Formats: sequence, structure tokens, C-alpha cells
Amino acid sequence: MRRIFLLILAVLFTAMLMAAPFVEDTLLTPDPNPKMGGTLYLALTGSPQSFNFYGTLDNNAYTVVGQMLTGLVEAHPVTSAIRPALAESWVVSENNKEVTFHLRDVKWSDGVPLTADDVIFTFKYFIMNPVARGNSVDRFTIEAQPIEWVKVDDSTVKAILPAPYAAFFTVLSHAYIYPSHALEDKIDKDRPDSVNDLWLTNTPPSEIPANGPFVLSEYIIDQKVVMTKNPNYWKVDSHGNKLPYVDKVEYIIVSDAQVRLAKFMAGELDYMAVSGNDFPILKERELAGGPFRVFLAEPTQPTPSPIHIAFNFDAENPKLREVFKTTEFRQAMEYALDRERIIDEVYNGLAVLGGVPVLPSNKAFYNPKIEEIRRPFNLAEAARLLDELGFKDVNGDGLREYPDGSKFEFVLTLQSSPQEYQDIAYIYSQDLLSIGIKVNLQILDSSLTGQMFGAGSFEAGLRAFGNQPDPQLRKAIWQPGTQLYYWHRTTRDPETNLPIFENMLDWEKRVYELFELGQVAMDHAVRKTFYDEWQEIYAEYLPVIFVCKGMNLYAANKSLGNVEQNEEGLLSYASWTVFKK
Amino acid sequence: MWSFIVRRLLIMIPMMFFISVICFVITELQPGDFVSQYLDNPRISPAQIELLRKNLGLDEPAHVRYWNWIKGIVTRGDFGYSFAFQRPVGELIWERMGWTIFIALGAIVFQWILAVPMGIYSALHPYSFGDYTLTVIGFIGVSIPDFFMALILMYLMLQMGAASVGGLFSPQFVGAPFSLAKFVDLLKHIWVPLIVVGMSGLAGLMRVMRGNMLDVISSPFVTSLRAHGLDEKTVKKHAIKNALNPMVSIAGTELPNVFSGTIIAAIVLNLPTMGPFFYNALLNHDQYLVMTFLMFIAIITQIGNLLADIALAILDPRIRMS
Repeated sequence: MRRIFLLILAVLFTAMLMAAPFVEDTLLTPDPNPKMGGTLYLALTGSPQSFNFYGTLDNNAYTVVGQMLTGLVEAHPVTSAIRPALAESWVVSENNKEVTFHLRDVKWSDGVPLTADDVIFTFKYFIMNPVARGNSVDRFTIEAQPIEWVKVDDSTVKAILPAPYAAFFTVLSHAYIYPSHALEDKIDKDRPDSVNDLWLTNTPPSEIPANGPFVLSEYIIDQKVVMTKNPNYWKVDSHGNKLPYVDKVEYIIVSDAQVRLAKFMAGELDYMAVSGNDFPILKERELAGGPFRVFLAEPTQPTPSPIHIAFNFDAENPKLREVFKTTEFRQAMEYALDRERIIDEVYNGLAVLGGVPVLPSNKAFYNPKIEEIRRPFNLAEAARLLDELGFKDVNGDGLREYPDGSKFEFVLTLQSSPQEYQDIAYIYSQDLLSIGIKVNLQILDSSLTGQMFGAGSFEAGLRAFGNQPDPQLRKAIWQPGTQLYYWHRTTRDPETNLPIFENMLDWEKRVYELFELGQVAMDHAVRKTFYDEWQEIYAEYLPVIFVCKGMNLYAANKSLGNVEQNEEGLLSYASWTVFKK
Repeated sequence: MWSFIVRRLLIMIPMMFFISVICFVITELQPGDFVSQYLDNPRISPAQIELLRKNLGLDEPAHVRYWNWIKGIVTRGDFGYSFAFQRPVGELIWERMGWTIFIALGAIVFQWILAVPMGIYSALHPYSFGDYTLTVIGFIGVSIPDFFMALILMYLMLQMGAASVGGLFSPQFVGAPFSLAKFVDLLKHIWVPLIVVGMSGLAGLMRVMRGNMLDVISSPFVTSLRAHGLDEKTVKKHAIKNALNPMVSIAGTELPNVFSGTIIAAIVLNLPTMGPFFYNALLNHDQYLVMTFLMFIAIITQIGNLLADIALAILDPRIRMS
């Protein structure tokens, strides 16, 4: 009898352990009395092109799918720290090359249990499928070898890494797990790209099971995407309430920014990102008693991308090429950049001095030392450096000439929209003109500038690339010899796609090395030293000059609970923790 | 009559072929292709971009792609795949046809219902205060770009405390089953697109109607009616009937105008029509989608003209088809 009792107790205990739900951080659920139910209205800037995360390259689709699916781990919506999701816990082996994940006892929204098979299936057919349109092969390949996934038992999977890989958990947070029971027999095994045809926009929503907070329930073409609460979601709040609080999320598709704003003001939308231009109007209305709150938060997101200025080390004109490669010249160019005025006049004060390019709010990787290295606006100093380099006004026309006496000027290429690009370029070119440097602005359509930068056919360029929580994720931009290191194209062989070290400057070689080291180190403190050094090199040698970073501007209807801004200036909001008062 | 219609339909075939060539050349002249928007995306490797380009057939020369596309249409009735949506183009356009036709026809009816009486009134009271007022209203409609008018109307609605702007329904009614409440909600919204889309053509129609009416009124045939001692009401009835004839030939060109001329307005008004969809396809370089839409507009224009000619022949006994 006693033995049976113990057995029952043991079974109960195990069951409890297995079913232990994830308790959401109180940072996201500050209100102790949330109200359940209601519909959350959000905006989508265009129609989703598919509901298959790995079968499309469309951001609207990513937004919608992000509500339906999660990965083994997830990034905290406010702090970006990696935390457990579908995997309840994991163990990293001694040599840092094996990670064993223990899956949570989770059911898909249609009631089928989520198992290790789903994980293996997802990696095999989607994430590691090179012909899936939105695959992540590159992110899960280290030193040209793919990460291998092995099923240990139904609730345990093991990842075998060819080498230690520091950004592993960060990339894993974007790897959503797919339901093998709903998809496996729909894939044409002889045609691996058939996975792209799954879950297109004409799929009945009932065929798309979810493991995230919401389930797709209806798509009305070009008008809205309706999602309902997933009854099997595995998160609770600290008071024991099952999440999410709201019953429905409706994404209203509004492509025009002005109309989105109008709809928000009319109360048709509950929460949205606000542009810098609209911020003053909304703030004014809020202060006049409008039914919403507007937040000016510390930037945390990759987008909007921070703008930078690049000087082409491979410019066609050999004299310009020499000048642009000279560190002192680029430093003079940084002295001539009036960031404060740009923040004031172009951004209405709604921007901060960013990093290079790690954001100051990114506590894990930001190196504050760059603030000491960063050269403040100082035209006299810029002029002095130029004098030193031999650029002087010889013929008395007010413009500087090359040391050999020939005319010195260059073209700054930029895209015509958004307007900020033109405003920044204009302010910058005027300041440069005042110290005798003539800059010719070339303002073109973005498709053209994209092609020109891509082909390396420009002199100087104004462009923007995103920040990321982990520098590893933007290796393809910031590491010399990579595909998007566009201001020094000759560091990469276009045929083999391999870096060419003899074409790199010494500090570029070091940056290259630092990214390689940062990729394989698993210890965060060690990694940080590598990326710290990278940031210092960037601040010192200025392969590109970062201008500033727009702040996170959001507006929320007053009826929306659990949207708060903390002392550090970070805004907390998540679709599964907000509620309608 | 029938031989005329058949002949007109046969002429459409080479016409459509030439239009398709011109449209294809123009879409080719646009710099870049569908894949180029991903060149800047660090998530996508160059190898994958190459693969995508190959899978979509974008690595083939233009004439080969054009030939394959035309062959698909002629042999299988297949208008090609959308690069972005990965679904047949015909299907995607068909899904959006309903609201597009609804709004187009609604706007045309709105135009005609207003323009015809306004034109008649103006013609019967030439150079009066009423004539000038109607003319001013009409010209305001023509001179203000439709997207701007849409923005102004929405601003005014917002100022007056409207709880819903843009679109055809309030969010809670979008996709809801049809009901009286939904119909009322539609009525609350539909007038904005009708005014915005309809106003642009209004003045043109009204001026044509006014001109026709003035011509007819001063023609010998009306004088002769009066001379026969018919009362003024009957005279006007005959005059209006005659003045309407030239309007019918304009009707043929109105349909494509409403389909393609209101793209920006439809974006601003957040209408689920083909306009914004087409605009995005253009930005995306979604070539077969763009081509099919252009061909659709071309065929609508031709059919519209044909229908107008037929209607005119039925209405006006002076016109003979030969």
C-alpha cells in the first residue's frame, strides 16, 4: 500500500514537474489585477505574403508568425536576454560542443504533444534546407559545417556543434519549431523547395497549429489578420493566470503611415510604432488629454537602422582612393560631423548618439569607451587635420586642393527617402564646405543606390544598417571581407567569396580576427573583450562614421494595461501580457 | 451588328499582344529585379540569392521569360506565379476583384447620378449663379488630387470625433458575417471613397453634359419641336435624351480610369482594392503580377470601348455599324 502510495506520489510529482508552466517576468506584468479577454488591435504595414516563416522573406509575415510560433529558447522582449521557451532547460557539455535540450511538456494548439521529432523535422526540412526561402543555414553553420541535431528521446534533443559557437542561443531564439504532424506528409520529399508552398496565404487557418501565444484564425485579404488565444500556451503570470490575457489579436492592414496614425488617434488601433515626424503631434494631443500615451524609449531594436557615412576605399579615382584610405582624413571627416545639430534639427531631438554599432542600451556588448574616442563636432580641428594632410586652398577660391594643386571634391551618394537621409547629407555637406571641402550630393532612388553600393561604384556614401543584440549576427556587414563590407570590396574575392587578407589594412585584419574569435568563444566575458576591442578599433579607425540612432517611439491607447517604461528608459510590452482595461 | 462585334473582338488579339510587349519592355527597364531588394539583407547569403534568382527563372534572358509567360497564357491559361506570394497570379487578382468592382461601379454610379442632373441644370440656366456654383464644385473635384482630398476628408472626420477612419468597415465588422449592423457600418464608410474616387471625373462629365445639352437646346430640331406646339416638359425630355448620347461613349473610358487612376487614393483610404496591391507589386518587381494587372486594365479598356459603341448604336438610330 505504502509502495503504491509512493508510486502515485512519484508519478504526480513527475507530472507536476513536466507540466510546470513558464512564469512570465513581472517586468512584463506589473499590474497585479489584469483583466482577461478583449481584442488587441494592432497595425500591419502590408499584407503578409505567406504564413510560412521559412518560406518567405517578408517582414509582415514574420510579424504574424512571431505570434504563432516560438523556438527552443526566446529573447526577453525587453532585455533581450536569452531564456527558456519550448526547451525547459539545457545542459552545455564540458567542451562547449554539445547542448542537450529538455523539452517542456507542451501541446500544439490542436492538442497534439510537441516532441523531439518536431525539432528534428524543423531543422531538417526548414531551417537547414538551403532551398527554403527564409532558411537559416548560414546561422547554423560553423566553419562550413552544419550543426547536427539528434533525438535522444521524445522530450530530449541534442545539438552537436562542429566548434563552440557563442551566438548559438541568440540565433536559436529566431528558430521557430514547426509541427511535423501537420506538415510532414505535405512535403514532396523529392523536391526540397516544395516547403515554400506550405502555409501560403490561401491556407485554411485550421491547418496551422501553433505553439506560441496566438493561433491564426482568419485572414481577410488586404484587410486584416485575426489571431485568437492559444488555449495550450505554456506561460502563466506570477499570479497564476494563464497567458495571454487578451482573447484576440487583430492586425489591421494599413499601408499608409498617415492613415495608421489617423486610425490610432481614432482609437481603432491600440498600440503602434510612431515616426519621429508624428511624435510631436501625438505628444501634444496626449498632453491635451488625448486617450493615449506616447513613449520615448531608449532604442533597443535593430530598426530603424542607424545611418552611417562611408568612404569607398576602392573608389575609382585613384587619388580619392588614397585619401579615403587615410585614417586621419576620416577622422577629420568625423570632426566635421555635427551630430548634435542633426539630432536636434533632423530628428526633433528624438535620437541618441548610438554605438559603433552596438547600442548603449545593449548592456551585454556595449563598450562605453567609444564615447571617449568619438570625436565631437569641431570644425577647427577638422581643418587642422586637413591642413596637416596637405589639403590647402592654393588658388584662393575658398576650396581646398590636393597637395599637388589639383581640385579636390567628391560625390556623396544617398537614397532620396526617407527625408532624414537628405537632411543629414545637406547639413554635413554645408559644414564641410565651410572648411573648404566641396561635396556633391547625388540623391537617387533607393534601388539605384543599392545597386551602386553593391557594385562598389560610389565615392562616399550615406547608408544605414541595423543594430543587433549580438554582433555575431551582423558579421556579414562589419567583418572585413564579407558580402556587405561594401566600402572596401577588394577585401573579398567575388568568385570564391573568400576574404583576401593582403588587401586588408592592419586594423582590418585585426577586426577580421576578432569576429572569428568572438564566434567560437562560449564564455560571455571573453567574447565581450573581443567585441570591445572591435568597437574601439571602429571608433578609432572609422571604416564608417556612425551618425546617430533614432529612439524607440511608441504610442499605446490608455485602455491598454501592462505597457510601462522603466527607469532605464526601456519600454516593456508584449502581446501576451498586455490587457484591455 | 454581330460581324462588327466579332471583328472588334478579333482585332483585340493583336492589340493585346502589342500591349503585352510594350508593358514587358517597360517593366524590364525598371532597374533591378525581385531579388535585388534582398541584396542588402545580411540574413540572406549571396549563394541563396543566386539560388532564388535561378529558381524564379530571373537568370534567363528577358525574351525567354516573355516567351514562357505568353506560352503559359495561351496554352494553359496560366498567367504565371507571383514571386512574392508564390501563388498563381490569376488567383491573387481574382481574390481582390470583388471589392475593386464594387467600388469602381459605385464611384461610376455616383458620378453619373450627380453629373447628369448637374449638367442639365447648368445648361438650362446658363451663366446663372447656380451654373457657376456647380461648375466651381466640379472643378474643385478635378483640381484637388484624389489622395489629398482623401486626407482632407479623413482629417475632417477625425476632427469631428469619428471613431473610425479609412477602410470600408470598422475593424470589428471586417470579415464579420453580413448583417444589418454591418451594412449600416458600410454606409458610414463608403461615402468617403465614393466622393474621393468619383469627384475626379465629375466635373469632366458634367461639362460634357452641359455642352451637349446647350448644343441640343439651340439646335433646329428643338426649335421645330417647340414650333409643333409641344409643351416645354416634353421638349426637355427629348433634348435630354439626345444630349445623353455622347455621354455613353465616354462611359467606356471611365472603367479603366476608376481601376487604375485611383491607386494612391486607395492606399490613403486603405481600400482593399487591386490598386494598392498593384502598387506594391510594382515596388517589389513582382513582374508577372504587374504584367497581368496591366493586361487586365488593357482588356477592360477595350471591352469598355466596345460596350460603349454597342450601347451607342442601340441608343442612337443615326449610327450604323458597318
